[in-house]
Amino acid sequence: MTVISKSWNRLTLPGKVIFTALPLLGALTIGLVVAVVLLGGILVDLAAANLEVVRFLVAATAILLITVPTAFLIIYMEMKIIALMNLRLGPDRVGPAGSALSVVHGLKVLMKEDFTPTGADPLVFTWAPVVTYLASVMTLLVIPFAPGFFGQDINLGLLYFFAIGGLSVVGLLMAGWSSYNKYSLLGGLRSAAQVVSYEIPLTLSVVGLILLAGTMSLNQMVENQSGWFTSWYIFRQPLGALIFFIAAAAEANRTPFDLTEADSEIVAGFATEYSGMRFGFFFFAEYVNVFIVSALTVTLFFGGWNAPFPFPEITLALDPGSLGIGLLLLILIVPPLLTVIFAAPIWLVSNSIKGWQALLGGFVLANLFLMAVIGAVAFIGIEWVSGLLWFLGKTYAFVFLFVWMRGTLPRVRVDQLMDFAWKWLLPAALLNLFVTAVAIVVVS
Amino acid sequence: MDRAFKARLETRFGATLTGPVRQRHDETEMRIGAGDVVPVLTALHDEPDLHFEFLADLAGVDTGEVMQVVYHLWSETTPDWLRVIADGLSREDPRVPSATFLWKGAEWMEREAYDMFGIIFEGNRDLRRIYMPPDYASFPLRKDFFLPDDAARSPGGGVRPMERTQAPSNVPTTALVRRGGA
Amino acid sequence: MSTTKQQPHQSTDDPRVTLDRDLGVFEPIPPYPTRTEREAEFYTLADGEMLINMGPQHPSTHGVLRVVLKLDGEKVVDLDPVLGYLHRGVEKLCENADYHQAICYTDPLEYVSALFNEWAPVMAFEKLLDVQVPRRAEYIRVLSGELNRIASHALFMGWMALDLGGLTPILWSFIERDEIVDMLAALTGQRMLFNYFRIGGVNGDLNHEFMSRLGDWMSRATEQIDNNMGLLNENEIFVRRMRGLGTIDTATALRMVMSGPNLRATGVPFDVRRAHPYSVYPELEFDIPTRSEGDCLARYLLRLDEVRQSIRIIDQCLHQMPDGPVMAKLPRLLRPRPGRAYAAVEGPRGQYATYAVSDGTDQPFRMRIHDPSFIHLQAVGVMMPGHLLADTMAIMASLDPIMGGVDK
Repeated sequence: MTVISKSWNRLTLPGKVIFTALPLLGALTIGLVVAVVLLGGILVDLAAANLEVVRFLVAATAILLITVPTAFLIIYMEMKIIALMNLRLGPDRVGPAGSALSVVHGLKVLMKEDFTPTGADPLVFTWAPVVTYLASVMTLLVIPFAPGFFGQDINLGLLYFFAIGGLSVVGLLMAGWSSYNKYSLLGGLRSAAQVVSYEIPLTLSVVGLILLAGTMSLNQMVENQSGWFTSWYIFRQPLGALIFFIAAAAEANRTPFDLTEADSEIVAGFATEYSGMRFGFFFFAEYVNVFIVSALTVTLFFGGWNAPFPFPEITLALDPGSLGIGLLLLILIVPPLLTVIFAAPIWLVSNSIKGWQALLGGFVLANLFLMAVIGAVAFIGIEWVSGLLWFLGKTYAFVFLFVWMRGTLPRVRVDQLMDFAWKWLLPAALLNLFVTAVAIVVVS
Repeated sequence: MDRAFKARLETRFGATLTGPVRQRHDETEMRIGAGDVVPVLTALHDEPDLHFEFLADLAGVDTGEVMQVVYHLWSETTPDWLRVIADGLSREDPRVPSATFLWKGAEWMEREAYDMFGIIFEGNRDLRRIYMPPDYASFPLRKDFFLPDDAARSPGGGVRPMERTQAPSNVPTTALVRRGGA
Repeated sequence: MSTTKQQPHQSTDDPRVTLDRDLGVFEPIPPYPTRTEREAEFYTLADGEMLINMGPQHPSTHGVLRVVLKLDGEKVVDLDPVLGYLHRGVEKLCENADYHQAICYTDPLEYVSALFNEWAPVMAFEKLLDVQVPRRAEYIRVLSGELNRIASHALFMGWMALDLGGLTPILWSFIERDEIVDMLAALTGQRMLFNYFRIGGVNGDLNHEFMSRLGDWMSRATEQIDNNMGLLNENEIFVRRMRGLGTIDTATALRMVMSGPNLRATGVPFDVRRAHPYSVYPELEFDIPTRSEGDCLARYLLRLDEVRQSIRIIDQCLHQMPDGPVMAKLPRLLRPRPGRAYAAVEGPRGQYATYAVSDGTDQPFRMRIHDPSFIHLQAVGVMMPGHLLADTMAIMASLDPIMGGVDK
């Protein structure tokens, strides 16, 4: 007994947690598997009967799986890239190169106290972040991530996008008004004015594109841009793309248009009184917004999920089942063989690395190699993998551009902002529309 | 040290000076009474051969017996700083006309002198405390202020040894005479 | 047998301590009954106006400053700065301290440019004691002072950009400042509150570490500053936000008794180093940059010009530095004869002065500190009306106040 209690006392706190949690977790997993195996049939029947509920749960899971990691990744990118632009290091402790910091921030935000300030309207105060988050997330429905990978192919996709995106201003106004705080009020009104003013150039700038493409469906637009990159709409609507990009930056409340959260003036603007997960919602909504406007820019003007040049169609007729018992032998032999093959050079080259360390290194390298091979096969053979990767790559390039702008540019003043929207962007968008329409009539 | 300047000042202001014009290093000093502040400062500011248009400093001083308001001025006409000491303000009711009619920037300097000494500047539109809280009950830089208790709200103050009454070593004894009801 | 632990005595249980919650809710606006004309004028709201409190805790007031703004929508109609959050009673503390100790108290006033805070009192005490400072000490004072001026202006540029929303320039300007501050640490032993000037000289001669860092820095100073600070000069957003903002004309500036770069940006070439020369400035050649627009952009560009002039002065100091002692011979216990002395230096913010009164004892009888940031904050009330809320910060940043000096 004393041996056990002594060794228990010698463990650190994380050690104690792991020691108790791991066996419990193992038991739980085994129990769950058994339950599914035994009750599987009943569960499937239950699901088939309540298809709507199942669909809702699947959709909610999909949304969480898409938005939460995206937001975490963009937050980490922003912190790290702006830090590097500022000639400092940024997050570098939590996780490799600080990459787990976003996750930790997310957890922290969940753990904070959740309160409503005195005098605030509790219903409106609670629903404001929900409305903002909804407005951002509902637009994900129409964005084409890859061929076959989209929510719905609405033939009025672009119109749906702008209509739903405009709901975010309601959320901001709700937040600003219900906080019972003059700073929030100022922030909310500023943001409402900003979003409403910039929606007009935003929508007008793509009308020319709609005329060119002949459709409002985003999927159709992406398919129109297949082939070589010269068919991307950026080359046919450069002015429209520029106006769209600037107006989208203003819609997403990004620097230089981030007066709503100008923390050197009005503390945190409309979100001053929010803390904990409510603030987390606003934060998420903003970064998902950044992702969405980047995704939309890519979809409309830069070819969506198309590669810049048409890849030849390679269909790999892979049929693993045909190998029969050979498949089992393959799975048993290939990984150890690869491990040894990768470990041998490591062991031979260096004197101080012991045998088992070399094997470990070899194992890691073998895994990476296999992942690369499978990835390459998937990329070439399976259509939606390559499409998804191209789409994400291009989108994150634009996210990087937004982050770069935030790190470099100062903020415009609210009257200069409105000035710019109404006196410069709006006439430019109208001009673009006019020229496009004339060109179409002349050419056809 | 500008000897000619001393002569000029004595000729111009001879009657109003309450003491000799002293000079030391690069400063010239003149003393006047509190009531003469307005005509003297106006003359120094407006007259073209004096042209003291830069008010470098406005300070209050508690000498232990009287209070003073000290103005430091600069002009292109002389290489010296000019110090004008408005002397002889009583310690019970120190009043002096405000200089804000010439320099609006003197407003806060006078507020500070009021806050620290209790000197009332007549004509200052905004004579309220600037450093201490608005309901503070004492004037910190006076020589008879050495106990925060008479100004603070806490009934528990002064309990610890460091908070007990003790006059600093260089307070003139005249300042420590307790006035009735102070 | 169990020992009961001594119950800790809670100060909140002490009946002699009055807690804030028993005093009632603190209502900052409107205050206690208005007593002065200006208060009555400010705290009476017309139709549609509102009072907003940019409190002492705010990400961008330069220290703890509370500003009550009267807004009409987004436009600022009037403002009332409330000071005293950093008041440390330095003048009273100096009265209870030695002449040498009093200089240590003055360092943290305008902590960004600490050497100038020491320079003025040291000069005033030297006048009281009739002490002649050796020439080498004067040159070292000028050299370190000008380095401190560059460091302070570099920080100003970073703050200016930060208040306008740019996150990057402040970190770059800290790189500038870090180099200079490391240099001064090699010379004085401290990075920010140097405590280097003494009555009669300075506390230690130049050393090898300092000279090598200085030489290294001088060889790339101009180019580096132009690169780093030039990031903002051509930025359209930055320039458009600052041009025409917070304009003040010469007559108003003189009435508000402004000095330093804020006054020179309105066109008046008043610099204490030339108007009332002290130390060895008469022997050094430098220009006084002046601009005539009087807006934020002019103040910003003027400080850039001043940095270049400072580099010129440092160069001359290095070439003209004489040999000799760095400290005059003084008795340990200093008892000046009764008298008064006033000394002013040109700090990075303006005229920084000390008026010292001595009564023959070894402690100053009165040590009055005149701080330029204090004066310039009054001018914000004159420049602000008509501008928008976002400009409040920009204008205050362009005047470069340091709250340590404002509040003493």
